[in-house]
Amino acid sequence: MSLAGITLGLFSFGIIGFGFFWVIRTEYHLGYLWWPFPLLLGLALIAGSLFVGDAGWSALLGIAGASFVWGATELKEQAVRADLGWFRRNPGRKPAPPLVDLIKRVGAPHL
Amino acid sequence: MLQLTGLWMAIATFLGIWWGHVGVRWLEARSADVRRPALALISIGIGLNLYSLFAPSLTIAGVCSIIGITLLWDAFELYRQQRRVIKGHAPANPANPRHAAYLAAPDSHATTADLLKREPSDPTGFGGTQMSGGIGHTASSD
Repeated sequence: MSLAGITLGLFSFGIIGFGFFWVIRTEYHLGYLWWPFPLLLGLALIAGSLFVGDAGWSALLGIAGASFVWGATELKEQAVRADLGWFRRNPGRKPAPPLVDLIKRVGAPHL
Repeated sequence: MLQLTGLWMAIATFLGIWWGHVGVRWLEARSADVRRPALALISIGIGLNLYSLFAPSLTIAGVCSIIGITLLWDAFELYRQQRRVIKGHAPANPANPRHAAYLAAPDSHATTADLLKREPSDPTGFGGTQMSGGIGHTASSD
């Protein structure tokens, strides 16, 4: 019997919970247009997991990476929720991310 | 040689989250009573986690536990989705008798409209646009 799988499952559960926290905070302070950056971070973590020798560390990187990829897809819906008044809304102007015009043209992904 | 364990975990995590969003909405909208699907999700979730204890490799154990734990959460999420429909934060399905009752209830907030299907206001402009459709409270769990 090994608890390694359950440990990974619990880590996944925890990091998804952390995802809800950072998505809300990021949308509030920066706005949903920053979505490509968590997406790239997530993809980089998943790519990095391919080159880690230890299977356990590779698993943790993969789970964290997938969580950031998902969070990137959640930012747009979070912005709509804030617009609707379901979440606290930051009325101030938020900083534009680099390449903002390109990001606006591409459109934010969501599940 | 590439270490594929992380990639498998990433796929399992992403699919688990995807199902937790899309699948739970679909299941809740079509279930006349959420208890039965919740029980099925709990049973499968516990089964996968038990199997992960004895799985032959870390990859299989991890994938089973990640999917198993997300299914356990999804059982709870079915009830949260039900609350969202009652509050009008998720669209009601009039063909579902449970949802039809929410829609017909006096002082109902339930709606068939999907309020999230719209573009957000531009965050780089001052103020933005407060949309109609909100019910005024903040820091909800949706």
